[in-house]
Amino acid sequence: MLSRVADSLYWMSRYMERADGILRMLKINYASSQDDINEFSWKSVLRIFTYLEEEQANAIAHHSRAVLQYMVTDKENPNSVVNIVTHARENARSVQDHITKEVWQCLNDFYHTVRTDQLIQWLDKDDPVTVLDVLIKQGMLYYGTADITMARGEGYNFLNIGKFLERGVQSADILDVKFRDLDYDLSKADTIYWKYMLLSISGYELYLKTYRSGFEAKNVVEQIVLNVDFPRSVLYSINQLHRYFERFKSEKNEEGYQKINFLIGKLKSKVKYSTVDSILKEGLHTYLSGIKESLYEVANALNQNYFAYT
Amino acid sequence: MQTSELINTYYVDANTWDEMYTNSSVRDQYKSVVEFMQQLSIDELNKKEELARRLFMSQGITFTVYSSGEGIEKIFPFDIIPRIITASEWDYIERGIKQRLKALNLFLKDVYNEQFIIKDGIVPIEMIYSCPHYLREMYRFPVPHDIYVHISGIDLIRNSDGSFYILEDNLRTPSGVSYMLENREITKRLFPDLLPKNTVRTVTEYPNILHKNLVALSPRQISHPTIVLLTPGIYNSAYFEHTTLARLMGVELVEGRDLVVDNHRVYMKTTSGLQQVDVIYRRVDDEFLDPLVFNPGSMLGVAGIMSAYRKGNVAIANAVGNGVADDKAIYTYVPSMIRYYLNEEPILKNVPTYHLGKQEEREYVFSNMNRMVIKKTNESGGYGMLMGHTASEQEIDAYKNEIIKDPRQYIAQPIISLSSSPCYMQGKLQPRRVDLRPYALCGPDGIQIVPGGLTRVALREGSLVVNSSQGGGSKDTWVLAG
Repeated sequence: MLSRVADSLYWMSRYMERADGILRMLKINYASSQDDINEFSWKSVLRIFTYLEEEQANAIAHHSRAVLQYMVTDKENPNSVVNIVTHARENARSVQDHITKEVWQCLNDFYHTVRTDQLIQWLDKDDPVTVLDVLIKQGMLYYGTADITMARGEGYNFLNIGKFLERGVQSADILDVKFRDLDYDLSKADTIYWKYMLLSISGYELYLKTYRSGFEAKNVVEQIVLNVDFPRSVLYSINQLHRYFERFKSEKNEEGYQKINFLIGKLKSKVKYSTVDSILKEGLHTYLSGIKESLYEVANALNQNYFAYT
Repeated sequence: MQTSELINTYYVDANTWDEMYTNSSVRDQYKSVVEFMQQLSIDELNKKEELARRLFMSQGITFTVYSSGEGIEKIFPFDIIPRIITASEWDYIERGIKQRLKALNLFLKDVYNEQFIIKDGIVPIEMIYSCPHYLREMYRFPVPHDIYVHISGIDLIRNSDGSFYILEDNLRTPSGVSYMLENREITKRLFPDLLPKNTVRTVTEYPNILHKNLVALSPRQISHPTIVLLTPGIYNSAYFEHTTLARLMGVELVEGRDLVVDNHRVYMKTTSGLQQVDVIYRRVDDEFLDPLVFNPGSMLGVAGIMSAYRKGNVAIANAVGNGVADDKAIYTYVPSMIRYYLNEEPILKNVPTYHLGKQEEREYVFSNMNRMVIKKTNESGGYGMLMGHTASEQEIDAYKNEIIKDPRQYIAQPIISLSSSPCYMQGKLQPRRVDLRPYALCGPDGIQIVPGGLTRVALREGSLVVNSSQGGGSKDTWVLAG
């Protein structure tokens, strides 16, 4: 496979996962803003997911609709959903002969949906949850289409490597946003928020089945970081990343393979042999930042060893 | 309005050949389409038009126009009513194009080798050396199987008496074939069962024939040569076509930056190292192909590719340097070429053409500007063109001044009216001017033309310019079996 093609597939997949992560994060925070007797602030969301200056962020931090518009439809915001989906589509456009026609059409439809002028009006006037749900559904359609139609070859592996690498980062971010608000003090309970968070990432039922004692921050951390059966957990993402990367073992690129396999293996062991207590001892923020850094290191190594084409 | 009235309100312009309508009746080949439409309501027709638009949009059959820093997706406008060509018309067109291509290919071989046609005084030598597309880099280079033109798109138009004329020969990187394929797919969705009922010949074989011909060019005698399609990239307006063809042929779509030349061999950079490339179907113009030989500023090409080509380590289709044969000034000599190389009379006629480089012809053209269309010999896509009958005095004078500066670069042709074809617009049938571009493929086994082509439509009322860059659209083109 051409290095450029591998690169584009990987980024297409990362962008799609990022769009999904951002949409879900917006959904949690919007829901929780409607259920808060204190004035809800979007400040930590804006700090983690945008490049806004302190002043600009403060200006809209208490206006949900303004934040939603900025994060979804604003073309000036490089990390807005519309821009991310556009990037995903541009990548897809340059590798149309390596993805199925169905995947391309699905992404293309998503692109046209997110660009309609009506979306801005809906976000302004209608129920924002409906709008977010429509967009999340488009993303789900993409996942299903890719899963069902794509041949299980090198391209599919790069799609999954991109997807799970990005998901690891997103899951770490979703946790980090809220704990930053709480100054990483887990005793400051915010059960409503945990509930919305689990609902939005489809982890609510699993939580109820696993834990009987109501919503506790420690349990939430455990599920989102360490649960191997939860498809959005950090550990699950890393396991999948490893699984798809190992398929390159027989390829000619021996040196690159060894290097990256080592990086992923090291990270996998670190997370696998963590417990909630050891994480808290290390400090949640430090721990999550460490994971993100390790994932970025894998990404850089992929860049050097598999995608270098210029 | 009722659909039954569509025909009654269809008015053909005077002195124009209409593809559907003649002497106040519908031509035989259009009867079943007209009948089918009359069974529908205007509402249903409008819905079909909308369905066509949605299908194009959702499949990404679009080109991007960049304005104020933002890309806008545009559809190449499509008219739902097919253009129909009868079996006998097609037979004539097919024979004419095959003859012409045979002669043009011999001409290219000749001008890049022995140059008999110049020595025998058929084509003046200054016509060759003044042509910017004549590339000395190709002199005495034996191209595989002596084929220069692997893919061509020759434009035909119809005069008011219905006879076909060759408008221009596109022998470099003709585009539009993906629209021939996609328009047919859309018609299948819009008009179920109508294609088989009318015995419309299929066009789907095009990519398979092209692929077979490309494989035959491979310099290495191996069972699976590596074929690539070289595109300028996603910002090219024909990018959709490049991906479609790559996908339909199952070949790798590459950009210049994916390729590298080492020891006169071309390789592509893959995730598991370098892989040798045998055949390149390039959609990059000669000028940008190799920065070491042609335009040194080109980012689209591959440094050293010409040396690999000349060493015979990689095949390139179309051959480099074909521009000398589809130059608008050389065009006038094609009928003489056919007589010279084949000893046959040309089947398809040329449009009379005046060289503005010749003084007496220039004077004649200058005194008849309002009946002429003036074109630059090295431009395509309808750029740099002057339509004498609609231009203002000032435009004509300004254009004349441009011509005087370098008259060799211009030709003039009398304005040909172009045949009209019914288009469904704003709930009515309206006549619009059309041309026809069939795609011919030439391989070691000979020339094959898939029965069909691209019918381009001038969507503006009264306009004679069909180029997509000038507000043209397209139609599905049916060739009937019998």
